[in-house]
Amino acid sequence: MIVIQAAIAGALTGGLFAVMSVGLSLTWGMLRVINLAHFGLILLGAYLTFQLATDLAIDPILTLVITVPLLFLAGATMQYAFDRLALGEFNSLIVSFGLLIIVVQVVSNLWSADFQRMDATVNPYATRALTIGPLAFPLPTLVAFAFAVVIVGSAHLILTRTYPGRALRAFAQDRPIASAYGIDHVRLGTLLAGATGGTAAAAGMLFALGSAVIPTAPFEWVGIVFAVVILGGIGDAVGTLLAGLLVGAVSGIVSVVVSPAAAPLVIFSAVVLALMLRPNGVFVRRSP
Amino acid sequence: MLEVVGLDAGYGQALALEGVALRVESGEIVSVVGPNGAGKSTLVNVVAGLHRARAGAIRMDGVDIGRMAGHRFCDRGIAIVPEGRRLFPRMSVRENLDLGAYRRGARAEREATLEWVHALFPRLAERGKQLAGSLSGGEQQMVAIGRALMARPRLLLLDEPSLGLAPVIVDEVFDVMRSIHDAGVSVLLVEQNIDRALAISSRAYLLLEGRVTMTGPAAELRASPELRRTVLGL
Repeated sequence: MIVIQAAIAGALTGGLFAVMSVGLSLTWGMLRVINLAHFGLILLGAYLTFQLATDLAIDPILTLVITVPLLFLAGATMQYAFDRLALGEFNSLIVSFGLLIIVVQVVSNLWSADFQRMDATVNPYATRALTIGPLAFPLPTLVAFAFAVVIVGSAHLILTRTYPGRALRAFAQDRPIASAYGIDHVRLGTLLAGATGGTAAAAGMLFALGSAVIPTAPFEWVGIVFAVVILGGIGDAVGTLLAGLLVGAVSGIVSVVVSPAAAPLVIFSAVVLALMLRPNGVFVRRSP
Repeated sequence: MLEVVGLDAGYGQALALEGVALRVESGEIVSVVGPNGAGKSTLVNVVAGLHRARAGAIRMDGVDIGRMAGHRFCDRGIAIVPEGRRLFPRMSVRENLDLGAYRRGARAEREATLEWVHALFPRLAERGKQLAGSLSGGEQQMVAIGRALMARPRLLLLDEPSLGLAPVIVDEVFDVMRSIHDAGVSVLLVEQNIDRALAISSRAYLLLEGRVTMTGPAAELRASPELRRTVLGL
């Protein structure tokens, strides 16, 4: 029973990983930018949620009304700058790592380097859980899971059904030809990066909902998020959700059966194996 | 319609085109012939906005488009069927065609254009859901031509459309070229199948080492011993 509980709870936690990963995966796959600053935006999202919910005494989820547009702008501006600087894939990794360090430092100076947590009166989710028979699921992970399904589902629909989404996929496959057919990569890239900024706001809010915030949190996320992005297939929205669930469930099971310390070992062994056996992503459905 | 003047283009140190002048009038099929490495592909790529010229002018209806962003060339009525087809391989046939109609001017007429493309290539209607990367070479070429037509071009650039295709398919491609021309689209054709290219064209240019060395009515070039000698080595 405890293993089942751990697996389901872990899979639900994977929803948060998926929300964190989907933005990184899409900008990497479509725009060839490995944007580590995405973690900085998630951190900002978490702290802004903490601050706004506390100051305004509103439901933390409602802070998205402010944080999503804000981080949309941040993401779009960053991509516009990357584009202007004509950064290659590897250089984008280095530059955005620098940006991440700056964000972590600024957050640390503004909010202190200590753990901070929304008060229970502000955040009604943190202490509640849903119990089904013998199984109990913390409310924050359920909320995160619901957000993951909605965000990944919308991303998938936009990419497959709309003109801008298809244009982005075309752009990822052959830039010059996409451009010859009228696809303006600066405009679309900026829009996509803005949208991923919006997902960072959601990820930050979801993190703050269930955990205490600390400026160095991004360094905890990087490993697991990269695992999810690579297992899911770079640029594959639905893949990040499936990989998030898988990584969450495996971590949950290994933590219970072996020990929590063994979970990263199993996850990253799986990443190495996936890179060797299925380099386009574990769940790839449509690859030549 | 299209007028190219004093065009220089190249890659790194190397100059692939030097002072090239060329024009395509409305309703014409014009061929560019020449041996491998003469700069034929570079020429059509520059006209399509895929490659930037170093000097010279590319005028479409009298407007110099050479300095415009690459994605704006198609708004001037230019579409390319590039060498090697270059479809979006992980997208369906239908998605490839739809992307051809991405530019605003073509989007409104998408359904009507699609009917035309399906009439030209009935097989594409059956293969709509299949991934472009999984098609045979001939079918891929049909998608590439269909995609270009979806952009509703007034000038169609075709770069080696018969390369690597079975003879039956080559016949089909040339037939389709004629129908496209009959529908009022001007064509600039780069082809290594010189006899067939010249047979379908009104005028032609011979390109040698990045320069136009001969131009005139296609029939004249066809009869020219110089063309035979330089290109076919006869």
